[in-house]
Amino acid sequence: MDSLHAIGFYVSAAISVGGGLALAFLPGRGSRGVALAAAGLGIAGLYLSLSAGFAGLVALVCYAGCALLLAAPHYRVIETAVGAVWRQVAAVAAAGLFAVLAYAAWRGDFFHALYVSGDIGSASIGRLLFTHDALATEAVGALVLAALAGATVMWRGRGRGR
Amino acid sequence: MSPDLVAVLFVAAALVATGVFVAAWKRDLTAALASLPLIFGGAGVAFAGVSRFAATGAPPLFGQEVATLLPVVALALVALGVGIAGRGTPR
Repeated sequence: MDSLHAIGFYVSAAISVGGGLALAFLPGRGSRGVALAAAGLGIAGLYLSLSAGFAGLVALVCYAGCALLLAAPHYRVIETAVGAVWRQVAAVAAAGLFAVLAYAAWRGDFFHALYVSGDIGSASIGRLLFTHDALATEAVGALVLAALAGATVMWRGRGRGR
Repeated sequence: MSPDLVAVLFVAAALVATGVFVAAWKRDLTAALASLPLIFGGAGVAFAGVSRFAATGAPPLFGQEVATLLPVVALALVALGVGIAGRGTPR
């Protein structure tokens, strides 16, 4: 990996994790949407620096969609009844999860291989998606269709019932 | 310092843990849906990193393929969650 990719990797990592943390602490829908969009931008940059440019493009579009959905002004706020103490315990558990995963990555004795493919690779990914793993692609397509249809039906049903 | 697979897995672990933290920290369940793209993003970064650095018996682009599909799944789940939450009083 050359120095440009390395700089891109570390900057993207900082943007994605920083956006995620901002998502946790920022109040308001608009700021949460911006934070999620920033996290998505960072994740897309990570993909690009890992020579997965097509995945980065898809991630950029999908995370922009997620940010728009979560920044929209018309959805109901559902408050949990969990107390502050349990939320703090869960936050410490998340930190513990990071420690365990980071330790597993650090102790892993990985073999380093030479990468020979291109930076974007959309043609190779497309061939893999639509020939070798067509069933998985169709399953994801069916999931997206079912999710969007379900979301539309519930959204319209609630609007009509009011 | 050039990043290697360990650095990629570090970042992936940080993203997954951040997503879990968002899910645990947010009082509003609909806002906590934002943790899903983070967790899926962390998993996707790990897949792309393994595809980029590791030598396995799987096809070399398999990790990138999964990393391509995961954001789509995350978007679908967020759309479904927001749809289930439904319209209500904005805050």
